[in-house]
Amino acid sequence: MKLNFLFPNKFKRIGWFTLIPSAIIGLLILIYEYEPSFLDFNVPAIFVDELTFTANKKTFRMVTNNILNEILGVLIIISTFLVAFSKEKSEDEYISKIRFESLAWAVYFNYAILILTLLFIYDFAFLWVMVFNMFTVLLFFIVRFNWQISKLKKSASYEE
Amino acid sequence: MKNSIKVERAKKNITQAELAKLAKVSRQTINAMELGKYVPSTVLALRLAQIFEVEISEIFTLEDSDWD
Repeated sequence: MKLNFLFPNKFKRIGWFTLIPSAIIGLLILIYEYEPSFLDFNVPAIFVDELTFTANKKTFRMVTNNILNEILGVLIIISTFLVAFSKEKSEDEYISKIRFESLAWAVYFNYAILILTLLFIYDFAFLWVMVFNMFTVLLFFIVRFNWQISKLKKSASYEE
Repeated sequence: MKNSIKVERAKKNITQAELAKLAKVSRQTINAMELGKYVPSTVLALRLAQIFEVEISEIFTLEDSDWD
């Protein structure tokens, strides 16, 4: 039995149906800084660095936090995983090879972009880079892998 | 690595799609192997040999570049 870390094919669809709305909502609440008060909760935190002049750093405390962005962040990450790592309809060894090559490519590409942004984007703008960077490695992978697969299907569509 | 999958397939008179089904891989994989773009795993190579009823070395041959 082969262990390939992949989900069954049907999860890909579930992934897309979750990813698209949660990514759109996530972007909107990021832009409009929407924090509905009914989602304010006391939550446990491992590390707290309060933005005060005394610069209090504490560990293992309860803090009040709006959990909307946490919910969306988790939804986006899980659904991105489903899209990225669900089997193709005909997942075989060649598809797997393309999959893992695309993954390596995406990691290289993601960190190349990260180095560029480290060098040329500063202060608060860099925080935005970090927010997007949480998701980009898998997004780059999804784009690259699907592009390679569609290229493959096209090249194999005629048979001599 | 060179292979004679296309020749063997012609001898058996089966299409890429039919061979793909027999070997339990996608047609794209058969196509990529015939074009020399993909070197199959040992398991797949053995499956092909069994399907064509020949020795594995009759289908696959090493090239000098495989030693680099």
